[in-house]
Amino acid sequence: MSVIDLTGVTRGYGSEKVLTDMDLRVAKGEVVGLLGRNGAGKTTLIRLIMGLIAPWDGTVEVFGLDPRKEPMEVKRRIGFVAEDQELPKGLKVHQVITMHRELFPHWDAHHATTLAERFALPPDRKIKDLSKGQARQVALLCAVCHRPELLILDEPAGGLDPAARREFLETSIQLLVDEECTILFSSHHMSDIERMASRLVMIHDHQKWIDSEVDAIREGYCLAQVPREQLESGERLLEVEGCLCSRSHGAAWHAVFEREPDSCARELKNTLGLGQVMCRTIDLEEMFIELAGRSS
Amino acid sequence: MNFFVDANSGVPIFRQLMDQVKLHIASGALKPGDELPSIRSLSVPLGVNPMTISKAYNLLVRENVLDRRPGLPLVVAELDEGSLTLSRTSQLREGLKPAARLARQLKMSTDEAIGVFKDLLEHQTGSEDES
Repeated sequence: MSVIDLTGVTRGYGSEKVLTDMDLRVAKGEVVGLLGRNGAGKTTLIRLIMGLIAPWDGTVEVFGLDPRKEPMEVKRRIGFVAEDQELPKGLKVHQVITMHRELFPHWDAHHATTLAERFALPPDRKIKDLSKGQARQVALLCAVCHRPELLILDEPAGGLDPAARREFLETSIQLLVDEECTILFSSHHMSDIERMASRLVMIHDHQKWIDSEVDAIREGYCLAQVPREQLESGERLLEVEGCLCSRSHGAAWHAVFEREPDSCARELKNTLGLGQVMCRTIDLEEMFIELAGRSS
Repeated sequence: MNFFVDANSGVPIFRQLMDQVKLHIASGALKPGDELPSIRSLSVPLGVNPMTISKAYNLLVRENVLDRRPGLPLVVAELDEGSLTLSRTSQLREGLKPAARLARQLKMSTDEAIGVFKDLLEHQTGSEDES
């Protein structure tokens, strides 16, 4: 059984659709990185999974349950850190932890103490007096000490400096090692996705654009750079099998292909008669820019 | 044993780790029978998903570079001189692939490209004498 199972989900706000007919299945133990531009629908997707909003169409199941119908049962098994996590500002760190302990019957107090020590959290300091990184660490501690089966992190590293980000990443990985839980996280930091995720889902134009193992992206996709004088319109590249998108960039057309570089160069020659096309593998960051940053 | 990961290098992390293990073996830093660090102990400090490390190790076991013994740490497999040579050859092969692609894209003849490689081997300072 999948931990997360979305089928044909459509949802938006007002009259505007954000996600259209989206399918997503996440198996136990997977670590899925969600990528997309601001407003692409990452947070909407997470809110649907958390049962905070209902789909307009389609079905959402988490642990085989409808999170809108059985919110307590589902939330009990999820750990969640939101992008704009609000902890009660006037409370002290130890009070926030106690509050969470009382909410969750399976709270692991030993784990909470260990994490608080590792993060060097000052128990008597008020939330409002913590640094942003420390506040995030309190939120993470509260999200994981009830031993969730599914951890959802919305922009966990947002606003953190590189050192705090790295520490957050290492803590999440520690959880993965200790608990083998399933993780869904959204991030704009490609290197975090590269390090932590086993699978990448990229949302663009209300849809899943890419849903692939992270390693397969490096080896199964490439970027072709065609000098403009060789081709009158970048649109023609879309005729070539495996082409995901094309755009104009400086003196060349850039196109992303779901092919290896050699096979791509061959296909460009066969289909469009183009010689001397530079085809090379790309990393996640370039892929993201090519796919999401193209001018429409 | 030193391992490092560059998440922006353009090479998948599991391959970076596989290459580093092989390099350590080819250079003699890891010897047959030496234990590899556990997945847990590598995962957190490297900041890498444990499954990625496990994938690298599994592939190395499949390539007979590492030996798996039930319930014990992975060790470097007994390698004869032949397979060490083979390992060196395949590492060089991997390293040369981008160069081969570049040569083809530059429309260089095979002889021309080999000439460049030969020149580098013979004249680059600090290069070691191994074939």
